[in-house]
Amino acid sequence: MMARLLSASFLLLALLLGFAAHAEPYLAVEEGYKCNVCHVNPTGGGLRNDFGVTYAKVLLPEQSIGPEFDKWNGKVADILHVGGDLRADWSRTTAPNTPATDGFALEQFRVYGDLAIIPNKLGIYVDEQIAPNGSQNEEAYVRYGNTNNGGFYFKGGQFYLPFGWRLQDQSAFVRQLTGINMTTPDKGVEIGYEKPHWSAQLDFTNGSANTGSGTGHEVTGQVQYVQSIWRLGLAASSEQAQVGNRRMAGIFAGLKTGPVAWLGEFDVVHDDSFAPAETQAAALFEGDWRLMKGHNLKLTAEWEDPDRRVPNDQFTRYSLVYEYTPIPFLQLRGGYRRDVGIPQSPSENQRQLFVELHGYY
Amino acid sequence: MNSSGVTRSGVLLGLCLPLLQACAGNGQGLDANGRPIGESGGSGSVPLSADLSSIEANVFTPICSKCHIGGGAPEGLRLDSADAYNLLVGVPSTEVPSILRVKPGDPDNSYIIQKLEGHAAVGAQMPLGGPYLSTATIGFIRQWISNGAPPASGAASGSINATPDFVVKAIVPDGSEPVAQSPPQISVAFSRELDGNELALLSARVESMDGISTVTARISLASGNSKVLLITPDEKLAPGTYRVMLRSPVTPQVSDLSGRTLALGKQSQNGESELVQFEVEVLP
Repeated sequence: MMARLLSASFLLLALLLGFAAHAEPYLAVEEGYKCNVCHVNPTGGGLRNDFGVTYAKVLLPEQSIGPEFDKWNGKVADILHVGGDLRADWSRTTAPNTPATDGFALEQFRVYGDLAIIPNKLGIYVDEQIAPNGSQNEEAYVRYGNTNNGGFYFKGGQFYLPFGWRLQDQSAFVRQLTGINMTTPDKGVEIGYEKPHWSAQLDFTNGSANTGSGTGHEVTGQVQYVQSIWRLGLAASSEQAQVGNRRMAGIFAGLKTGPVAWLGEFDVVHDDSFAPAETQAAALFEGDWRLMKGHNLKLTAEWEDPDRRVPNDQFTRYSLVYEYTPIPFLQLRGGYRRDVGIPQSPSENQRQLFVELHGYY
Repeated sequence: MNSSGVTRSGVLLGLCLPLLQACAGNGQGLDANGRPIGESGGSGSVPLSADLSSIEANVFTPICSKCHIGGGAPEGLRLDSADAYNLLVGVPSTEVPSILRVKPGDPDNSYIIQKLEGHAAVGAQMPLGGPYLSTATIGFIRQWISNGAPPASGAASGSINATPDFVVKAIVPDGSEPVAQSPPQISVAFSRELDGNELALLSARVESMDGISTVTARISLASGNSKVLLITPDEKLAPGTYRVMLRSPVTPQVSDLSGRTLALGKQSQNGESELVQFEVEVLP
């Protein structure tokens, strides 16, 4: 009885406050997995590996499909894996003293490919956004070494930097402030280390501030320790650029309590391109409650301080998203998001309602 | 369902949510963009109009600068008030170098409009993930570009360094990645306005690294933005690796309006300077 009461209170509180975000790492926290258990990319996101496809077919959806339709395993040849994600949505946004806007949008259609030239040793990976608008390469790199807990591996080319939770919501404050998300790949090299409970990366790349100037570089490092119900990660980055150097540090963690997976991240950025230099901070707090197979309630609270020297300028965002996966590779998402910031800024006090169709393979 | 797990989850949520709810600033002493009132002469909200200051205050700073700011700005495009004009007007986009980010007088062929309206050749509509700007808001940006995209009417209202030093801020293409086609021009953005009269002494050519092909190039200031130098090859460049060479009776250099000079490129023994190298890709 007490549990039910708490559950109802939990849901009611969430509905009243409003929350959200589009993160997938909660699955890893919930299951006690590392990213490389389900993804080809050892730092997560993008193409799913054999187990990831099986997980998406069997464990994630409310219902499996019959064996006569169950042909897809992500392979078009023994050495070639492909996959993709399509997200289309309808949203309505309101803000104080601003006309409401609403409409349909194709958020993204991405295709992934991995050519295992020498299985578990040498591969080429591509992540290409092909819609909306023209094609845009996100990731393209050569990978050498076994990323499946086999020790060291090497990556070279264009890829996303490892820094904190690799969230599906690219507009999450922690992803915006750090400038590291799944739309901002960088070019360079990465040395990684994967063992059963450890994951670590060290990257040497151009740095986003050096696009167009060709000078400077960025060094990024991350280490993560994973246990079955909890994990802890540390990340740091230093970028040298003509416009000013930038240093970042972050801590992120995951915890499973009963049916709920919790994610947290706190990042601090010191940016010398401002005069005087600014120190900024952002935090993420997310809870994912798998109500039953195929149903997930996601609650997110975010906070950002855009300039630590300036008082009273912090803003927050709360989201509530319901994710329903009726059958393999199809997800319906609906959510409400509420920004709470300084009262004089309409954009920091907007509210958004959205419904999303997510197809993936 | 495990009831003790639910209990632990509820307690954790009950502790954390009120804490976060109380974290939003009350805005006391700040303008509409969250900056201290009087920090740079501004005193609050400015109505949206076809003026760069107004567009900065209402669009670039509160919306675009969530990402496009500081050292981590995507594509190196910083849309703070100190950098927005220099990095937009007359500057080729990095995604499609043949299209200027802002082409004064021509909003339809300005990349920023194509990105905001969602029909650019490359990548997603901006702001990334929405909510997208209303037609009316984009209309003001269109009108500013139609008006010739003049600089901001007032003083810069942001807190970014105004970069008083006379330096090269960006070169496009810069060799960091191959370009998909012959670039219509090589753009060099400076921190200060250039003296156009001094450019008459400067000549340029684009030569392949193997020395087989050489194309002469014209030098001019970007339309409506004298902080950007354009080097326009007289012919299309075939796939290959090139370098831009500058020549002058004296050291290849440019001058700003106050007479300060800046030497360009790496100087070679024959009096020429190599400004930049880049690769034109072989398309399949």
